[in-house]
Amino acid sequence: MAPSSGRRQPPSSEDLDERNIVGINKETITNTVSTDYPDNYANEEHAWDKEAFRRSFKVQWHDNQQYEAQFSLIGIDASIANAFRRILIAEIPTLAIDIVYIYNNTSVIQDEVLAHRLGLIPFTGNKKGIQNWLGFWRKPAPGEDSYATTFDSNTVCLKLQAKCTHNKDAPPNSKDPKELYHNAHIYAKDIKFEPLGVQEKHFSGDGVIRPFNPDILVAKLRPGQELEIEIHMHKGFGWDHAKWSPVATASYRLMPTITITKPILGADAEKFADCFMNGVIGLEPVTRKEARSKGSGYEGHEGELKAVVKDPMRDTVSREVLRHPEFEGKVKLGRRRDHFIFSIESTGQWDSDDLFLEAVKTLKKKCQVLRPQVTNMVYTF
Amino acid sequence: MSRETYQIPTPSQTANPGSSSGGGLNPGAQRSPFDADTNTVMQYICGDCGAKCPLRRNELIRCRECGCRVLYKERTKRMVQFEAR
Ligand SMILES: [Zn+2]
Repeated sequence: MAPSSGRRQPPSSEDLDERNIVGINKETITNTVSTDYPDNYANEEHAWDKEAFRRSFKVQWHDNQQYEAQFSLIGIDASIANAFRRILIAEIPTLAIDIVYIYNNTSVIQDEVLAHRLGLIPFTGNKKGIQNWLGFWRKPAPGEDSYATTFDSNTVCLKLQAKCTHNKDAPPNSKDPKELYHNAHIYAKDIKFEPLGVQEKHFSGDGVIRPFNPDILVAKLRPGQELEIEIHMHKGFGWDHAKWSPVATASYRLMPTITITKPILGADAEKFADCFMNGVIGLEPVTRKEARSKGSGYEGHEGELKAVVKDPMRDTVSREVLRHPEFEGKVKLGRRRDHFIFSIESTGQWDSDDLFLEAVKTLKKKCQVLRPQVTNMVYTF
Repeated sequence: MSRETYQIPTPSQTANPGSSSGGGLNPGAQRSPFDADTNTVMQYICGDCGAKCPLRRNELIRCRECGCRVLYKERTKRMVQFEAR
C-alpha cells in the first residue's frame, strides 16, 4: 500500500457489503455491531437521512396467510426492527379472560389453576367490535363498588356450566370416559358468550365472541362433579400479562449468507448440500465456459456437478459445514445485518398483517409523544 | 359479615319446618348452623361411593348406600373470585 496521502480512499462497494455482514465462524461471531453512524469512519458521512432511508429501505413479503405472515425488512437498523418485535408481543391490545367468578367447582382441578387455564385460552370475535368499539376496563378504586367500572362497553361476560353424569347408553365393557360419562371432558367450546346491553349488535353471527380453537381441553370431570363459572373478559396488553399478547410469537432472524470461495465438485458437492437445510444448496453441472476459463478451479471438470447457493433464506445456519475439514477455506458463512426476516403468528384475534401495521402505528404514536419532550428539553436549558 | 370469612354450608331449608330457634319467620335472616336442632338436615358426600347423604344431628355417621363411615362436607356455595393470571 502506498504511503498515506492524508485522506482515506472512499470505500469500495465490496467494503460496504462486507460492513453489513456478520461473520459466522467455527467458534466465533465477528462484526456484530452496526457501524453506520457519524464519526465512525473518517471522511464518511453517516448521519441518518430520511431520503437515503427512503431510497434504500425495502419490504418483501414471503408468505401472507391470515394468521401467519413472513416478510423481510431490508435496510433498517436492529433497534427499529427489535422495537417492532417488542411492540407486537407486548403493546397491541387484545381481549382475554380477566376475572373468574367460581360458584361451584367440584372437579379435581383447583380453582386457582382452573382460573389460570381459562385466562390463557385465546378468544376471537368481530374485529371492529373488539378493536374499535370495546373500551378498556379500570380496576375500581378502594372503597368503590366492585362493579362500578364494569359496563357492556368494556366487559364481555361468559358462562361455563357443566355437570358430569353417567351415560346409561354406554357400550358394555367400554373403558373410555368419554363414552361412559356425559361431559367427561370440558372444552373451550363449552364456554358460552352472554351478550350484555348493546353487545348483541357488535358480536353476533360470525362475529360472536368465541374461543379461537374450540378444542382446547379445560378440565376433566367424573360423575357427580360440576362446574359453574362466570367469566369477565377485559381488554389488556401483553406487558400486563402474556394472555393479552396478540401473537403466538413474533420473531425475526437475520438473512443468512453463504459464499462458496473455492469450487466444490462431485461427491464433495453432495456432502456439502447435506450440510444445509433442503433447498439451500443446488447441484449444477460445470459449463464448458467455466471449464475453459483459466484459474477458475473448474478446468477439466466440464459436466461434473458443482455446488451452488440456491436459497440461503431457508438455512438455519447450523454451521455443520464448518465441522468438515474438506470444506475448510472453501465456504464463508454470515448473516446480513440489515435484513430482518420477520415471522408473525397471530393467536386469532388479529390478522397477522394487520398486526404489523398496528405495530408501526404504535411506534409512530410513541415518537409523537417523545418529540415535544425532546423539544422542551432543549428549550429549558 | 365480611365476604372473606368462612361460611358454614347452609342446611337445606325444606327439612326444618317446625324449627323454633334461629331466624324464625324472617326469610332473609341467616340461621346460625350452631343452633341446628335435631330436625336440621345437612348434606354430606360419601367418601367411598360419592352418594349425597342427608344427615340429622346425633344420627349415625354412615353412608346409606354403601355403609362407608367417611363422609365429607359439601363445598361452600359462596362465590369465589379469581384473577385469571
Ligand atoms: Zn357410600
